[in-house]
Amino acid sequence: MSLPEFRLLRPQKLDEAVSWLASQGDQTRLIAGGTDLLPSMKQKLFAPAYVLDLRSIKELRGIREETDGGVGIGALTPLSEIEHSPLIRREFPVLFEAVRTVASPVLRNMGTLGGNICLDTRCLWYNQSLTWRKSCGFCLKKDGDLCHVAPASKTCWAAFSGDTPPALLCLGADVEIVGANGARRVPLSEFYVNDGIVRLHLAANEIVSRVYLPASSRGWRGSYQKLRVRGSIDYPLAGVAVTLKMRSGRVEDARMAITAVNPAPHLVKDVDAQMIGSEVDEVLAEKIGEQAARTAKPLTTSALTPEYRREMVRVFAKRALLAAAN
Amino acid sequence: MTEYSVIGKSIAMIDAAGKTTGSGKYADDFAVPGMLVGKILHSPYPHALIKRIDTSRARELEGVVAVVTGEDAPNQYGILPVGHDETALAVGKVRYVGDNVACVAAISEEIAEQALELIDVEYEPLPAYFDPEQSMKAERDLIHENRPNNIEKDYHHVFGDPEKGFAEADCVAEARYIANEVTHAAMEPHCTLAGFEIDPQTGKQGRLTVWSSTQVPYYLQHKLSLVLDLPMSQIRVIKPLVGGGFGGKSEIIPLEIIAAVAARAANAPVKITYTREEVFWAHRGRPRTIVDLKTGVKKDGRITAVACKVIQDGGAYCSYGVVTILYSGALLGALYDIPNIRYDGFRVLTNKPACGAMRGHGTVNVRFAFESQMDEIAAKIGLDPAEMRRVNLLKPPAITVNGLRVLSYGLPECIDQVITRSGWRERRGKLPKGRGLGVACSHYVSGAANSIIRSDMPHSTVNIKIDRDGGVVVYTGAAEIGQGSDTMTAQIVAEVLGCSLSRVKVIAADTDLTPIDLGSYSSRVTFMAGNAALRAAEAVKQDIVSAAAKRMNCALEEVEIRDDHVWKRGTSLSGADEAAASGRVDGQILRGSVLQSRKEELPKTHMSFEEAVVAAIDIHGGLTGTGSYAPPMEARGGKHKGAGVGPSPAYSYSAQVAEVSVDEETGIVTVHKIWAAHDCGRALNPVAVEGQVIGSVWMGLGQALQEEMVWKDGLMMNPGLLEYRSPSSVESPEIECIIVESIDPEGPFGAKEAGEGSLAATIPAISNAIYDAVGIRLREAPFSPERVLAALRTKRGAKKVEMTEGVDPTEPATFREHGGALWYRGKGPERHVEDPARLGGAR
Repeated sequence: MSLPEFRLLRPQKLDEAVSWLASQGDQTRLIAGGTDLLPSMKQKLFAPAYVLDLRSIKELRGIREETDGGVGIGALTPLSEIEHSPLIRREFPVLFEAVRTVASPVLRNMGTLGGNICLDTRCLWYNQSLTWRKSCGFCLKKDGDLCHVAPASKTCWAAFSGDTPPALLCLGADVEIVGANGARRVPLSEFYVNDGIVRLHLAANEIVSRVYLPASSRGWRGSYQKLRVRGSIDYPLAGVAVTLKMRSGRVEDARMAITAVNPAPHLVKDVDAQMIGSEVDEVLAEKIGEQAARTAKPLTTSALTPEYRREMVRVFAKRALLAAAN
Repeated sequence: MTEYSVIGKSIAMIDAAGKTTGSGKYADDFAVPGMLVGKILHSPYPHALIKRIDTSRARELEGVVAVVTGEDAPNQYGILPVGHDETALAVGKVRYVGDNVACVAAISEEIAEQALELIDVEYEPLPAYFDPEQSMKAERDLIHENRPNNIEKDYHHVFGDPEKGFAEADCVAEARYIANEVTHAAMEPHCTLAGFEIDPQTGKQGRLTVWSSTQVPYYLQHKLSLVLDLPMSQIRVIKPLVGGGFGGKSEIIPLEIIAAVAARAANAPVKITYTREEVFWAHRGRPRTIVDLKTGVKKDGRITAVACKVIQDGGAYCSYGVVTILYSGALLGALYDIPNIRYDGFRVLTNKPACGAMRGHGTVNVRFAFESQMDEIAAKIGLDPAEMRRVNLLKPPAITVNGLRVLSYGLPECIDQVITRSGWRERRGKLPKGRGLGVACSHYVSGAANSIIRSDMPHSTVNIKIDRDGGVVVYTGAAEIGQGSDTMTAQIVAEVLGCSLSRVKVIAADTDLTPIDLGSYSSRVTFMAGNAALRAAEAVKQDIVSAAAKRMNCALEEVEIRDDHVWKRGTSLSGADEAAASGRVDGQILRGSVLQSRKEELPKTHMSFEEAVVAAIDIHGGLTGTGSYAPPMEARGGKHKGAGVGPSPAYSYSAQVAEVSVDEETGIVTVHKIWAAHDCGRALNPVAVEGQVIGSVWMGLGQALQEEMVWKDGLMMNPGLLEYRSPSSVESPEIECIIVESIDPEGPFGAKEAGEGSLAATIPAISNAIYDAVGIRLREAPFSPERVLAALRTKRGAKKVEMTEGVDPTEPATFREHGGALWYRGKGPERHVEDPARLGGAR
């Protein structure tokens, strides 16, 4: 399969990229590691006139401790760099656990944090060649008018399949977004849209430039549990991240987020209210697991059945909680 | 001194350097001047008439040189003479989503792809058939008009007296087993480059040369001749390095014919390389299979009768189907001593990609059912499953009830080995909760005793030429596909001739240069091409020995050749001239010659290999030899209809123990270790044997746990290596390979097959281990986490959650379909009103 024709742009500075997008954003796709975009372009899911390669923009790279005690991670930072950062491993163990489950070591060398956050939603009816998609009359997300996994739905149910966002949601991360009018910072929890097509609150002329992990999340315990068939390569079929702040064996604060079972990653509501002041035991973990499962709305977007995946959200939420607590 | 110098040693493959450095050339690495890129238009319909094809807009696109359709090459072909049901491109109708409709040859891939979009095809949908049991009821709109009820072929065999056998049984088990569809997933996608020479006499298209990723160059040459109406002498097929076949390249794959047809029309060489999706459509993998199995045993575990009904979902074309369905029945025999067998096999056509031969061809899914049922029976009668196998061993030499001749039989030792090494007796039943051990056995042919195309020609022929430089050139049609065919050939020739391996150059699989060999399938190469190589080497050696005897003034029987030395028996090598021993001969033209030497020297007692070769050439005027192999008549099987498939000159044997643990909350199965003992007769190259056994076990592991082609109304939902999940290195367990050498009386140096026989045992070994671990009997493969969990939940009486698309993995009735809805709102290729996609509606 060949790539559609496009013009490649390789700006050296962030403002060059931003000013290009200001005028041509609608016709431009950003490329970072390329592990998501290029296969999709070969499948003719995207045929942009321009592809803007962010990789020469040095200011988008690197892990940096901020003066306020938080940590900033450039959107272009390769996932393997985060995986191997002692600072991340020590202070934000949930992110360390999540990042090391992404795809495979080779793909983590290419894939970036920004790319993982902005990952396109995935579905077996969508991530297929043009020829294949013709044989099913296309789908709502691309060229069609039906969501095959939810035929009655007016919105797309392709699953968000990034591993790091649930971890980042648990850490209360912000994303910095740069556009023609300068930079703005939004909580990651307000960045996603639960619609497989709309996906993000991100305009075509904007770039995700950084991720901020707040000082207040430093040192929280954490765990990320991922359902996958293979020990490597696979996207998550379900994923649960948990962070806990503990004092003398009791929960001081807690957050939980799930991925790959909805069009967006979601924080599980009221987890903190149910847990604060409690010891983490099987009974509590079971209860929280059921709550996580209720948040999950998996459909037939991937090979394993939705019912199984929802059940695994329950089990993995429980396990993540117990793992983080102990 | 050991018995042998070259064989029996673990050596690097002779083509390893090119593969590991990247300098080796695979089909897609070839380019010739003026070469065009071919792209194929595939059908979006599972079953439809083609009313009209308009290629004019595609032809007008700049850069497009030719567009071909079915009418450009309507001759039918197929790998089996009884199954000539394919054409290069669809003629009149399409039979599966992905069927081949047209091909564009253009100056670039991009232009060829654009041109595909400009081809206008008008289809008239027909009802389609996706489930084989439904398809068997079809009375009209047949997939092939000459196949009533969409049954490609059915066989009904009775050996012994099954009714009596069941009547005598103390215990009878009966169940349905289902194995879902798997494919080869070879690393190299198929690729063919085809181009015609210009005939210098006529100026017209002359000979055709084809470079192709094939396991069967000779069959490709034959089928190209059929489709193109070209004599075989005008076609040269060259097989470059092949990046894995596993059966997926063991017949003629559509692109191989299409590239030649397109090259003919374009008057230029055309290369087609499949995308991974196209590889899945070309498929020819293991069909999803229903096995209804009944086994009767005595109290002591002895089998009294087996009744087996097999339904294979063969897809839209015959391919190897008739052979597959026969293997499924025939290889119920030759592993254990079964006195009475009834077999009913149905190969059924459906509107899906064609299934064909895949590693362990025809045996794997039936073996899964059989070995699982043995385990169930053992539990019922309270017998150790390993002991159950032991009491049913054959007593060779034997002819089985269905006419298979078994000579060498290392199965008893294979069982002993894995039982001992796995600590079966000490550990089984004492492992922690959720952890278990399972045992299973399997076997496979060392080549088919009867060839696909009935003829009296040898199955393998090998030529050898040795020149005055002492270089040995071996010409073989056998196809190296990564399994070590070339290395095996070189080893046997070097061993027989007594020369070093580095002298031997293998020229293989080029129909202009190499003698006919049927190819690399049914694990035939070591046994058949190996025997041919051995005989060719022995023929050449005679000339060398006679010349050396003359030179050393001794009897023929006194000449010894080994490790590049030639000496008269009884003389010591220690005094031999160092230069001679090293193999160097100054002035190969004179110094070595017999006449010259006679004048100068007394008779020698030692010679170098080169001296002996030069002497032989001086005397005989050349040094060549030919050897060929055809299986003996006694090994060719019985007389019943379909008796031709199953017989082999020798069978390999495997026994395996798997140790697994099951996560009872998630249903995820972890395989910790597999002990695999394989009887390969003699290991000519032990490390290569281990590689083959480990590879087979690993492939079985994939089918057991995670590989599965997922279907929805004839659409393959996972035609890529991201969603079709072959195991990664992370979840691949340690595999301890134990080589058992039974020294076959007819194999080359006693060798038999090593590449396929170990696959089938892995799947039931794992399912039996799962049973041992958590007490669930899975009768549907793969044992994917949702199936395992569903079975566990049923067992512990948990609340019913439908997580397996309505198919109970412990008692599967039918195949499952992917969820969701195909149906669209006026956007897609409208399906016929009776198509299951519309009848079923949205779920």
